[in-house]
Amino acid sequence: MKKLTVILAVVLLGACSGGRVKKYLPDDYSGWEKTTNTVLNYPISGHENHFRIPYINETGEKPEITVKNNRKYYNYPPGTIIIKEVYDKLTAPAPGEKPIMLTAMVKAPDDPNALGGWVWIVKTPQNKEIIFKSDFCITCHNDANSAHPYGDKNPDGEFRDYVFFPYHYQSREESEK
Amino acid sequence: MAAEKFTPITRKVNTIIVLTLIIGIGTIIGLSYWYISSTTNTLNNKSLNQEAEYLYQTIRTIMIPGQASLAQGYFENIASIGENKITIFRQTGKKAFSDNTTIESVNRRWGFEKFHPAANRQDDGEKPLDRYFSQALQPNPAGKPLSFRVIKNNRVYVDIYKMLENTIKCRPCHGELPTARGVAAIEKDITSQLSDQYRTLGFSIIIFVFVVLSLAVILSQFMKNAVIKPVKVIGDVCMEVTNGNFESKVAIKNRDEIGTLGQTVNKMVEGLHERFKLSKYVSSSTIDSLKTEKKGERLPLTILFSDIRSFTSYAENKQPEAVVESLNKILNFQSEIIHRNKGDIDKYVGDEVVAFFSNDNPELSACRSALQIQRELAGDSNTKYGNLQVGIGINQGEVILGMVGSERRADYTIIGDNVNTASRLCDVAKAGQIIIADSIYRKVKEQVATEGPYKVKVKGKNLFLRVHILKGLKGKAK
Repeated sequence: MKKLTVILAVVLLGACSGGRVKKYLPDDYSGWEKTTNTVLNYPISGHENHFRIPYINETGEKPEITVKNNRKYYNYPPGTIIIKEVYDKLTAPAPGEKPIMLTAMVKAPDDPNALGGWVWIVKTPQNKEIIFKSDFCITCHNDANSAHPYGDKNPDGEFRDYVFFPYHYQSREESEK
Repeated sequence: MAAEKFTPITRKVNTIIVLTLIIGIGTIIGLSYWYISSTTNTLNNKSLNQEAEYLYQTIRTIMIPGQASLAQGYFENIASIGENKITIFRQTGKKAFSDNTTIESVNRRWGFEKFHPAANRQDDGEKPLDRYFSQALQPNPAGKPLSFRVIKNNRVYVDIYKMLENTIKCRPCHGELPTARGVAAIEKDITSQLSDQYRTLGFSIIIFVFVVLSLAVILSQFMKNAVIKPVKVIGDVCMEVTNGNFESKVAIKNRDEIGTLGQTVNKMVEGLHERFKLSKYVSSSTIDSLKTEKKGERLPLTILFSDIRSFTSYAENKQPEAVVESLNKILNFQSEIIHRNKGDIDKYVGDEVVAFFSNDNPELSACRSALQIQRELAGDSNTKYGNLQVGIGINQGEVILGMVGSERRADYTIIGDNVNTASRLCDVAKAGQIIIADSIYRKVKEQVATEGPYKVKVKGKNLFLRVHILKGLKGKAK
């Protein structure tokens, strides 16, 4: 009987640990670079009337860029995380104001939750990460891979790996000079 | 403690069989139905989801800016194909292309009449289901569209609502917001499918009932023949044996445990029969002594001796078979009378019966037995007992009851002076007479009629013995 109880406990523990929700996003991204200097204070489908500030981790600062058939292809390395702070209003947040949610892209092509090589996540103020397995996010972000009306507008229709505002590492170095 | 209610084993076995069948077959049918139903629903949903995805991708592809009429034509055409109903609802909940609101809005955005309002738009008033519609307009993290079942006009439908996003292609005409342009609704009528499922379920239940009943009858019949009937036969034989019929046999031909049990019972009955027959030749006290393994004990008993008078001369003139037959008849009826009065035959010594009584009132029992014996012989007008007569002597007192004899052959019998005295009184008694010792008389004088007292001199005693001749019973003792 005692042996059975121990086996059951081990099985239950195993089951519980197997069911633990994986965390994709770090709690602190304050040291990350902003992907763009563009002020995202205009309404946009998907984010509606909310001010947005996107950040990228160091892994994603230098995407691999290749050219095929005269088309540029961006490829962010696995482990790239882009976190977009979404604020309550369309105006710039007040000092100390917390975002109402974070929307994030995590490059993880092998992840079963990945769509287009990215895991699409919404993090609530309660720190709950909601993974979007539907095509809601990617449908819109797919437009980043062709000419669009935002940022540099991607006039050449480069494959931007679903990122509307690619971080330009070179230009930062130059700006530091 | 209250006696437990008798429940026939047939009922128990049948109940177990029926319950087992109901649970077993019922579970299989239930699981099968659940599996079929679940698979059908899954296939329906999968098919509808796929259809929704096709529709969605088509909308995305053909919604070329400025070519809304192309999309409208497409929706009108596919709406009438197949059994599924496809409807596009605007974000406001109104059916798409039911009026010119969108065209007017687009024209306002462009600042000129980019599209001509259509003249033949009709609103049939169809609305989406509010609670699902508002849910469908929200971003849905799940990998599949919103699916639900709805009943309308006694028909059952599966509906799928999928949000139509306001993509970049839409935005030049329709603006940046809202995120959801509307909802694509696909509806499939599954009434006939459900009817088929219910029909299948009904058919399964009928088959189930039929199978359960048939199997229950077959199995219970089998159990009845293989187990219950033979057990009942064995029980009946045991009951017969209990009632003294040792001729009853278990006639079971089964070559199984029941058959073996029947054979064992038959052997047991044979053994009992042998012992029963043996008990005729052995006194009850001998049998008791075998049970208790007593070697000897001193007991107060009432002893009865009965001896046939003039038997030797009788035997000389008769054939041996006739002699034995008459003797056995006399000994037999005396034994029956003695047993009936709760006495015990100690032994037969030739034509003599030696009996003793140790019940509640042994003196009266012995007297009653003696009187009945004499009455039986006195009434022997048809010479049943060969006109033979007996003399009876009754005494009482302490005797030794014990196993007397050799290791190979022994009798559990009574010995002692009081036994000898009873024997002497028997010797004194004439044919048809009953001589009782004075000690007996003193115990039963209120209940018996006697003559005497008399003084008799018997062999082995120096003093006269005071005796009485028993004549009958009186008062309640009769």
